[in-house]
Amino acid sequence: MALSPFGSRSPSMTVHSPNTAIRLRATAAQNSSTGTASAAVSKPVQNGDRELTEQLNIDVRERYVKDRKVGEGTYAVVYVGHLRHDPSSLVAIKKIKVNAEYKDGLAMDAVREVKYLQELKHPNVIALHDVFSSKDQNLSLVLEFLPGGDLEMLIKDSDIQYGVADIKAWMGMLARGVWWCHENFVLHRDIKPNNLLIASDGEVKLADFGLARSFADPLFNMTHQVITRWYRPPELLYGARQYSGAVDIWSMGMVFAELLLRVPFVAGNTDLDQTSKICEAFGTPTEENWPGVSKLPYYIATDKAHLVPLQGRDFFMRQFPTAGPVGADLLMSMCALDPRKRSTAVQCLRHNWWTIEPRPTKNEDLPRKSGGTKKMGDDLTRRGGELDEGMFKSAARQLDFGMK
Amino acid sequence: MASNAASRRDEDEVCPVCKSSRYLNPDMRFLINPECYHKMCESCVDRIFSSGPANCPVAGCRKTLRKNRFRKQTFEDIGVEREVDIRRRVMHILNRREEEFDSKRAYDDFLEQREDIIANLVSRIDVAKTEAQLQKYAADNMQSIRANQAIEAEEASSFQARMSLEQEEARLRRQAVRQEYETERREIQAGREDFLTRLASGSSTDAAAIAREGHKVLLKKSSARRSEEERIRQKQAALRLDNKRVSNLSTVEQAGAADTGLVKGLRKIKTPEPEKPYDPFMGYVPEKRDYYSLQSYYPSQYLDPIRNDARMLAGGYDLREYYSRTLLEAFAGLSCFVGEEISQRDAANTSKSTATEGASMAVEGGENTA
Repeated sequence: MALSPFGSRSPSMTVHSPNTAIRLRATAAQNSSTGTASAAVSKPVQNGDRELTEQLNIDVRERYVKDRKVGEGTYAVVYVGHLRHDPSSLVAIKKIKVNAEYKDGLAMDAVREVKYLQELKHPNVIALHDVFSSKDQNLSLVLEFLPGGDLEMLIKDSDIQYGVADIKAWMGMLARGVWWCHENFVLHRDIKPNNLLIASDGEVKLADFGLARSFADPLFNMTHQVITRWYRPPELLYGARQYSGAVDIWSMGMVFAELLLRVPFVAGNTDLDQTSKICEAFGTPTEENWPGVSKLPYYIATDKAHLVPLQGRDFFMRQFPTAGPVGADLLMSMCALDPRKRSTAVQCLRHNWWTIEPRPTKNEDLPRKSGGTKKMGDDLTRRGGELDEGMFKSAARQLDFGMK
Repeated sequence: MASNAASRRDEDEVCPVCKSSRYLNPDMRFLINPECYHKMCESCVDRIFSSGPANCPVAGCRKTLRKNRFRKQTFEDIGVEREVDIRRRVMHILNRREEEFDSKRAYDDFLEQREDIIANLVSRIDVAKTEAQLQKYAADNMQSIRANQAIEAEEASSFQARMSLEQEEARLRRQAVRQEYETERREIQAGREDFLTRLASGSSTDAAAIAREGHKVLLKKSSARRSEEERIRQKQAALRLDNKRVSNLSTVEQAGAADTGLVKGLRKIKTPEPEKPYDPFMGYVPEKRDYYSLQSYYPSQYLDPIRNDARMLAGGYDLREYYSRTLLEAFAGLSCFVGEEISQRDAANTSKSTATEGASMAVEGGENTA
């Protein structure tokens, strides 16, 4: 965090092409200095009146080749592609479908994704290489190709065994990604195992910024209808319209618990059910342990008889013995009911769990699984905040008729 | 033929110690001792050395010999015998392997050096000095010598195993082929007999049909057999491949040892750098502020209502984040000099640099916020 609020806008940096802005300036300079004559010579006549931006868009589009489709959802289609001049450089091209719901303009998810991804450049955040639009006004995002699948796939595969060192490595990468977002004042607002994609080198990357937004502005209310239910913090369930990075930390804690247990820790069927499950598991929020909670719009007071006391450290140690006492302490700090008492991303990363034994597994030794490309296709086409736990949805995924 | 000639010459062979000749004692065997390589007959060895070490009975040789060191001569020429012994001993000690050296050149130098040592010992030049060198090397590199010996032994035994396996496979193949030939012959014969009996019993009109049918059956049978054979062959090939893979796995890479005085050009052992402690931030510095320090309170009437809004605070809203963001954005882009960076970029003429990227970004950011 030296100077710029945005790490650096990455797009064309990693691929061998100059930044669009620079290109734009360079082209403009060339046009003004050498005059229109040379421009007319270098381009066919029908392109002469084409707008500069349009030409730039075509330049970007021409740089990539789509190879094959790897996933399709209601919201987007994902292709694997490569740079035209370098067939070994793989990228994922996410083509947003026109007017899924929005009749006019682009889908919000796509706008958010482009807006925030182009500002975040970090090893643990999926890289957005380029953006271009095609003839039918479809928006295509050129994203980093992550063939390792996602964390959900590893959690659910009972053939894969992993230990606390692996969890530490994954959580470390997740925490760094979240920290980088928060450091740049971006809330992810949809952290869950299947948005944590795995690169070919084992690095976990935060993906799907369809629900992201910037935060800390006191003037704007934010929606509480974000984050997939099982990973949604109590303040959102209670309808808070002003919140902070603590919402992502709660989701992170839920992912941590899920990695340890290999099943979602608090999985409610409805929002109300989710609230009651959280109360059962962590304790009932009251004015004592969470000052001001009763002022939140959807707060429902529990009668004294059903009050569950706030769970202490021994609860976490009992529930998550594999994490060890220090790991349980970190998890507890991530799962504090009161968002003000929850650790921030920096505090999480400063926790001494990272430095004690066992040391986090090296990326190359982390458990992995094949078939990640298909999974990436599925993950990138999903709309933010959805649970894909439908009865037939997973069945359809299993019925893969050798489409590879 | 050679042995024939040797045996004829052996007729008049005489033990240099007891002067008994083979003519008188056809079972006489000669033994040598690698101390002095003087030849004597078995009975002399028994006689002289049974009661413990004694001097060599050959005139002028004062070497003390022990009985257990006596052995049969392998080569007729005692010089060759001696050289082979020396070579074996030296190579036992100087048993570095090619993969332990930096380069092919270094390995070749080592081989040459070893030959020099052997030549010295054989032709008795600088024996004391060379021996001392060898002894010192052996003492210093006990571990690596032993490890390499183990590898050699393993290689030899695995080679043996492979050879015997191959032989066994060849035998099985031969057997299978023989058996197959036998069954085929028997089948053809049976078919022919069947065909003949049917021809004999049937009427003359069926003859052509029966002949055709018989031919077809034969073809079918042979094609079925062929596919069966093919299957078996593939299976065997797969098996062989598996075995090969296993044997490849078993050859273990031997790490090189440190440069020793005698042998030069050995690959350096890379002692792995001590692992750095895990950095949860992976090199990034959190909360790095170059131009300002963050206060916990900024007086502002505009923000006062928020400070007291219990609902906002209960949701986790934190004004300090707002302060932090505002200040960060206010100071963003300071110390970015776009002009300078562009000229630098033009000078370097490299494709692009992060700094330029950041600068152009900052400019844009500034334009956006303005």
